[in-house]
Amino acid sequence: MTSYTIEVIGHRWLTDRTFEIRFQRPAGFDFLPGQKIGFVGGAVSRDYTPLGPAGGPELAFCVRHIPRGRFSTRLAGARPGDRFQVTPPFGYFTFQNTSRPAMCVATGTGIAPFVAFARAGVRGFDLLHGVRSAGELYYSRELSGAARRYVPCVSGEAPPTREWPLAFAGHVGGWLAERLPPGAYDFYLCGRGDMIREVVGIIDDRFEGSLVFTETFF
Amino acid sequence: MTIYTKTGDRGKTTLFSGERVTKDHNRIRACGDLDELNAAIGVLIASLDPADGQTGDQLMRIQSDLLHAGAWLAATPGSASRQRLAPITEVSCRTVESFIDAMAAELPELKAFVLPGGLMRAAWAHMARTVCRRVERAVVHLADLQDPPGSGRDDLLPVIAFLNRLSDYLFVLARHLNQKAGVADLIWQP
Repeated sequence: MTSYTIEVIGHRWLTDRTFEIRFQRPAGFDFLPGQKIGFVGGAVSRDYTPLGPAGGPELAFCVRHIPRGRFSTRLAGARPGDRFQVTPPFGYFTFQNTSRPAMCVATGTGIAPFVAFARAGVRGFDLLHGVRSAGELYYSRELSGAARRYVPCVSGEAPPTREWPLAFAGHVGGWLAERLPPGAYDFYLCGRGDMIREVVGIIDDRFEGSLVFTETFF
Repeated sequence: MTIYTKTGDRGKTTLFSGERVTKDHNRIRACGDLDELNAAIGVLIASLDPADGQTGDQLMRIQSDLLHAGAWLAATPGSASRQRLAPITEVSCRTVESFIDAMAAELPELKAFVLPGGLMRAAWAHMARTVCRRVERAVVHLADLQDPPGSGRDDLLPVIAFLNRLSDYLFVLARHLNQKAGVADLIWQP
């Protein structure tokens, strides 16, 4: 398989555990918003979704640093000029633009494909971002400008309702079960398997006729 | 790393085009049969002899084409997902035909039914052929009953043609593998 070499431009910490790392985008490296890219060439390979914009000069990724995690630690310690091998973009977690309302649901760094959607000009979707603390609401200003409704779902502390009046105390599944009227939606789910499992169960029970697109962290 | 999502624990699964359907849905049945065919071909590849030359490469190419066909089966006609898939072209069919022609040129003419069998790898080719015919039936059923007329049947015609040709290929391959090893066709004696 073809691979590309990308070079680190820099990174910045978004929280004490999460950072954004930026690379130069190689010529001809085009991706659809929501597609992912595999970092390969070492003992460990990992997939991440570029934030976009797709045609911009940079490739940026939002990465959760896992303590003792081999690859995220390597990325966290990367310096400008360091090089990584990546696959061409792949995957089908892309915006479908149907007549049904789009309900995007992310937990943690699963927000990345929705940032890519927003930077590609997608508008009018509803977006739930599930986090433990308000400090993890990465890209919230940008996303609230693109989404029809931006709903932070904060499970580990009181929700920041002063700043975000729609903020919900609890998990994304709780909001969907309690606040979303029954109907048919296009659900886009990106996060860990436990969230995907819970939300798909709610969709089966409450939102018959919906479409479900998932991107699961493993 | 875990591969289980548990989202199918209640008997439903998600099509490539996003619909939640029961696991006995016609589209899922066709995808499952296709998966079984691909696995049977995998067993056939694993049973090949180094002397079988390019056969393994041919079969792996076919496996890749079957995965592509599976994406078409798993997306409903008219869906945005199906519109984004690379088209199924006649190239796959023509390629398999070229494989058949090359093998058939070296085989004696067949004037009777043969019993499926012979070498283990030839027997696996016959096994894969029968699974391929089941996939073909499932896809034809899907095209006839599941797809609204005019909204998707034509999309599946290249898949149906490919499966038909693949069945022929697997039959000829079984004979070819036997013949190369000096095993004669097992002619049916009624």
